[in-house]
This record gives sequence, C-alpha cells and structure tokens, in this order.
Amino acid sequence: MGVMRIGHINIRVLDMDAALAHYEGVLGLTRTAKDDAGNVYLKGWDEWDKYSVILTPADKAGMINIAYKVEKDADLDVLGTRIRDYGITVDDLPEGAVAFCGRAIRFNLPSGHEMVLYAQKEMVGKAVGVTNPEPWPDGLKGAGVHWLDHALLMCELDPEKGINKVAENTKFMRECLDFYLSEQVMVGPDGDIQAATWMFRTSTPHDIAFVGGPVMGLHHLAFYLDDWSAVLKAADVMAKRQVKVDVTPQRHGITRGSTIYFFDPSGNRNETFAGLGYLAQPDMPVITWNEENLWRGIFYHTGEEAGKFTTVYT
Amino acid sequence: MFERSHTVTITDTGESFRCGEGTVVLKAMVTLGYRGVTSGCHGGGCGVCKVRVVEGSYDAAAMSRAHVSEAEERDRVVLACRIRPRSDLRLSVVGGIGKVIARQQKKFGFV
Repeated sequence: MGVMRIGHINIRVLDMDAALAHYEGVLGLTRTAKDDAGNVYLKGWDEWDKYSVILTPADKAGMINIAYKVEKDADLDVLGTRIRDYGITVDDLPEGAVAFCGRAIRFNLPSGHEMVLYAQKEMVGKAVGVTNPEPWPDGLKGAGVHWLDHALLMCELDPEKGINKVAENTKFMRECLDFYLSEQVMVGPDGDIQAATWMFRTSTPHDIAFVGGPVMGLHHLAFYLDDWSAVLKAADVMAKRQVKVDVTPQRHGITRGSTIYFFDPSGNRNETFAGLGYLAQPDMPVITWNEENLWRGIFYHTGEEAGKFTTVYT
Repeated sequence: MFERSHTVTITDTGESFRCGEGTVVLKAMVTLGYRGVTSGCHGGGCGVCKVRVVEGSYDAAAMSRAHVSEAEERDRVVLACRIRPRSDLRLSVVGGIGKVIARQQKKFGFV
C-alpha cells in the first residue's frame, strides 16, 4: 500500500550524444526507447520496468521531475486526496501522459520540485531474466550500475527570513506520502533548524533526501552498486573516461553508504552508492547529526566539506 | 603531433597558464594547480565558473541558459568549462574574486 520506491527521474541535458556516452558508457545503463520529442529512456540491468532515467534535450541542466511508483492503482486516489487536502494542487494525468505508464498524478513539493506518482509502467524484465538467473549479465558497460537508488533535492533554506523548505518537504512527505525519517541534520544556535533530512519507503535509509541551500535544485541522482570493490572499479571507469569526479570513493556517516560523486557532461551530479547502509524500518528511532558533526555525517573520513557539495548543483 | 597551445591569463589574480586548443580552459587551469576561477561541475550546468573574455578568441560549447543568456554569450561572457582557446586569452571573473571567498561563510550548516 502506498509508495513502493523511486520510479524514475527526468533530467535535462545540454548535449544528448555526450549524455548517452556517459549514462550508457560510464554508468552502464541500457537505452530502451526514444520518443519524437528527442527524450531518451534508459534502465539499469537489474531493473524490470521499462526505464528509470529520462534524458531530455534542453538549454539548461537540472531536473524536470522525479517519479515514485505506488503499489496499487487505488493508491493514486488515496494519496491524491491527501495531497489536495494538504492544500497542494494535483494534476490527474491520463494513461500514457507519463511515457509507458498508466494514469498518474503530478504535483509540486513545498520546495517547488515536481513529483509524479504512478502505479503501472511497461515491464521489460531484468537483463538476467527470472528463470535460473545468473547473478549478473554479460556485456555490461562501465560501472554496470544496478538501479536508480535515490535522489537528493536542494531546497531553499534561509532561517533569517523564516524559510525552510527542507522542513516543509519533510513534513509533507511524512504526512501525505507516509515516508519515514531515517536521519536529519539539525543546525542553528539552538539546534532546532532542520537543515537536511533522509527519508525512506523501502528498507534502505533513503529513497529521497532534502538538503538546504540558497536556491532549489537537483543535488544528485544516485545509482546502486553492490559493494566497495564495485565503487573502486566505478572510480577507475570514471578516471579512464575523464569524467569530472567531485568526490573520490568515500564513506558517508549518514546512511553509511560508500560513495563517489561525479558530474554528467551537462553538470548534473551523479552518485554511485554501494551497500544497504542498514535496515531501515518504520519504527526505527530517528538519527540526528548536529552542526558540529554534520560534515562527518556527509564525508565520514575527513569530516570536512569535500568537492563542491554545497556550492555546486543544478 | 603536438597540439597548439595558448597562454590564458586570469586578470583578477594574475595567474597565467598554457592551454591546448583541444582543452577546455577550466580543465587546464585545475590540472595545472591554479584557482583563479571557481571550479564546479565542468559540464556547463552549474554556472560557478562564469568569466568575461576580455581579449582573445575561443570556441564555446553549449552552456546552461539558466546561467549565461544568449546576450551575455554574444558579449563574451561564458563559462570557463565550456571554452577552448584559439588565441591567447585574458579572462576576468564575473562577480569578481570576492565571490569565491563569500561563498565559504556559512551561518547555518549548509547555508
């Protein structure tokens, strides 16, 4: 019942050929469709639905929208009503309006980011099939990522003006979409300003994250890898192909994942994220990081801001 | 076969380095250890490496219209991660070098 997992993310790219060389050749996604508008649809080898990434040719970078899949068609009515009752406008989209999907609902988070919920998407199956499958398919390119794991959205935060879209999004996701809070960063003189949150519906620590910044945007989209050795190999692939790496292999304190941050050829930040982190459950106590330790939370080994984490995003 | 290279000068800091015709200016700058222009996504998307080309000619690849308008681009305001030199270049940082320092001060963790 309700939201199951992240379904897809629609990203703007400045140069489609360069973007495809990156998402196919570096990450190892597979192209599954292209439409008349020039949008290209891709999936990871371990995903069964038709796509998890849509690349749209555009004159700027960033995210168009992010979509989550709900379990049952009727969930769209229940959640749509809740969102409307919360005071947010909801658009009902007919079957096919979201490519290869059944009917959907669309709305904007309090931060302004557009979100889509759908219950059905064309199924194409995993690369290894379902009958006596091998553990991984032959012919994987680059890092060979398994699936789209989560995204981090930057939300306007200006405590002196009373603006905190991180807290507003977190409340909305909790009350309307039944997301659970796994971890949060609390800042300010009294430690009462919620500056970042990690939320889940699956059993992993985050299916979406919100971090405060000067303006809204996309911080990163993350793809799943098995383990630390896969992370190292992914970094080698990036070096070989001269991908702009933002932060080399590291561990997050928050979520405990091992990570690499890097940029696609249009400047959209990607992450390869490995490991479960820990078992996230609805009854787990929320983990809090205070301001003095927030960088240990983000980059555990150095405890300092690395790369351009807070200053560069699309 | 050696690629032709040119001298790029950042007027704000006086830094000067060589950049091949096939190499983007920001990449040459960071590779050689200079810091006069803020280094960001290197994809033309984030806009932090915005500069004005005061002197010289260059080729420019697509850059985000959220950060550089068509009028600005005609006026030689570009992202340093998107230009390759065709002659010696002199660049000035848009917003000035102070913007690099200003963004480091944070009152509330991330902002």
